[in-house]
Amino acid sequence: MSRKIERLINLTIALLATKRFLTKSEIFNALEGYEGSAQTKERMFERDKDDLRNLGIDIEVGSFDPLFDDEAGYRIRPQSYALDLGEITGQQIALLSLAAQAWSGAALDDAAARALNKLRSLGVDSDLDSIPAITARLTTTHPDFHSITTAISLREEISFSYRSPELDLIPRQIQPYAVATRNSFWYVSGHDLTRDQIRTFRLDRIDGEITRGKESKSFEIPVGFNVFQNSDDEFKSYSATIDIRKGKAQILRAKSSSSIDMGEWDRISYNYFDSQQMIDLILWHGQDAILREPQSLKNQLIETLHEIVRIHV
Amino acid sequence: MSNSANTPLERASRLLDLVPYLSTHQGVELSKLAQVFHISSSQLVADLTTLWMCGLPGYTPLELMELSFDSGFVTIHNAQTLARPRTLNDEESIALLLGLDLVIAALPDDREDLKVQARELVQRLSARSGFPGKLSAASTASNSVEVIVEDAMRANKDLEISYHSLYSDTLTTRVISPIDLKSENGFQYLSAHCDNAKAVRVFRLDRIVSAQIQPGRAGARAVISERESNKISFEIAVHSRVRASLERFSLPPSVVSAPLHSESFSPEWIIRSVFASSGSVELLSPPDMRQRIATSAQSLLQLYESS
Repeated sequence: MSRKIERLINLTIALLATKRFLTKSEIFNALEGYEGSAQTKERMFERDKDDLRNLGIDIEVGSFDPLFDDEAGYRIRPQSYALDLGEITGQQIALLSLAAQAWSGAALDDAAARALNKLRSLGVDSDLDSIPAITARLTTTHPDFHSITTAISLREEISFSYRSPELDLIPRQIQPYAVATRNSFWYVSGHDLTRDQIRTFRLDRIDGEITRGKESKSFEIPVGFNVFQNSDDEFKSYSATIDIRKGKAQILRAKSSSSIDMGEWDRISYNYFDSQQMIDLILWHGQDAILREPQSLKNQLIETLHEIVRIHV
Repeated sequence: MSNSANTPLERASRLLDLVPYLSTHQGVELSKLAQVFHISSSQLVADLTTLWMCGLPGYTPLELMELSFDSGFVTIHNAQTLARPRTLNDEESIALLLGLDLVIAALPDDREDLKVQARELVQRLSARSGFPGKLSAASTASNSVEVIVEDAMRANKDLEISYHSLYSDTLTTRVISPIDLKSENGFQYLSAHCDNAKAVRVFRLDRIVSAQIQPGRAGARAVISERESNKISFEIAVHSRVRASLERFSLPPSVVSAPLHSESFSPEWIIRSVFASSGSVELLSPPDMRQRIATSAQSLLQLYESS
């Protein structure tokens, strides 16, 4: 086993150190460990090449002279092999270290630890003292989180059962573009192949396993894709005027677009997307939030209150 | 910890990462190095022994890497070709991008300088890895502790907080299940079930340095203290919006034809949650709380209909 490992390391070193392409016969002659018949060596080399590629090492194939149909040669470009984050300060290393440590005990723990070691290997001391003490911990709830990130990096489709608002299980097949977390929930977003639309799914509503497609590189992720584009899109939203009691309803206050001081109350404007969710949120605040405008929403809210009275009296 | 990380490919990968680390940490203690790479010392010695046989073609002492570790301290020479750390793979990039996003959210609002730096790192990483810059987005709302606490109460979630204790002048990290928020003498106090203390504790809000919502269900971990706590049992009937209602009450997806039973530390939370269900959830018991909901909804109605 360790011979195989030696061979992989030596192959990496040889291909990295060379300025020109190395042919297979040069590799077989110079490197230790390629033994046996021509066919055996050939097979060994093909497998080693695949293994290095699976480690994320980019092996370039080319020839000495483009004018002649020469034997193919191989090399690894130092630029593509080595980590290049440009100029980096100790403070930035500290920020990246905190980012990696946020995964402690969670789904991408191993990947984050490897990334952290690579950052430490840059030889820049982490300046953690210049950063205030913060708690940043990522916790993932879906056991198949790993499948999603792997599928995204390999550009594979995924399929799963998704719980509908009425709890039916609906099969979904998507090209995953991104995972994201917001308000402590995890989301996966991508192109829903059945509906031919961009859709976002909450991971805790996925029931059972996530299956990865067999084919990799089956799609492209749009440049600048933003998971929360739709919900952030202010143009599509409506505005409500709500009176909130001073010192209360921080959730409404924090997201309000404007606020007028009215003594015991503040009158805020709040952009919303979905009228049902807006009513839910106002009612959560009980006597601390009173809706003023728009009238149609107010009517809906009054109707809801009648319903609450009706079922509880 | 030297679990399954020992397939030939994983070992080769680790060896490639060991060289740059050693190049910038000459003389590192063997045991510390094993810790950094999450492997046992004996596994590390096996790794280093393998590495010893590697180098440029020719494989004379001139071309081989030169390692010394029998003193318990590790040094490496003649390893220039592999001295720079390898580029991040996709999964490592995803881990850092998502982590950075969280760090940005967790940094205090008055450290815009650090947020700017972290955002700049996100851009650099996503440019180099080809991943969308907006891979994740933590809450875009203000990250003030008050908002996070209220959000956690509304979603019935646990919080992980850094709390500055005045008596011992220490900063501790605890997981709490929020129960109630009250103002008194100009300060806001949060009563919560504290997982460290296994009991209900009161926290002054301005001494909570940072807070973060945990996806776990509130109360789930508090079973131990059930005897000493005053948890309230309640029963609901779900009439519509099944998924939303079950999620609001942190109930598992299941049949809703029968009354559903649950419990909470906070009567306030139960009442608010019923209100926020907008008529799709009916509180069956306890009867006094059912009565409170009816009365409270009636007085709100009067307020609306008189204005």
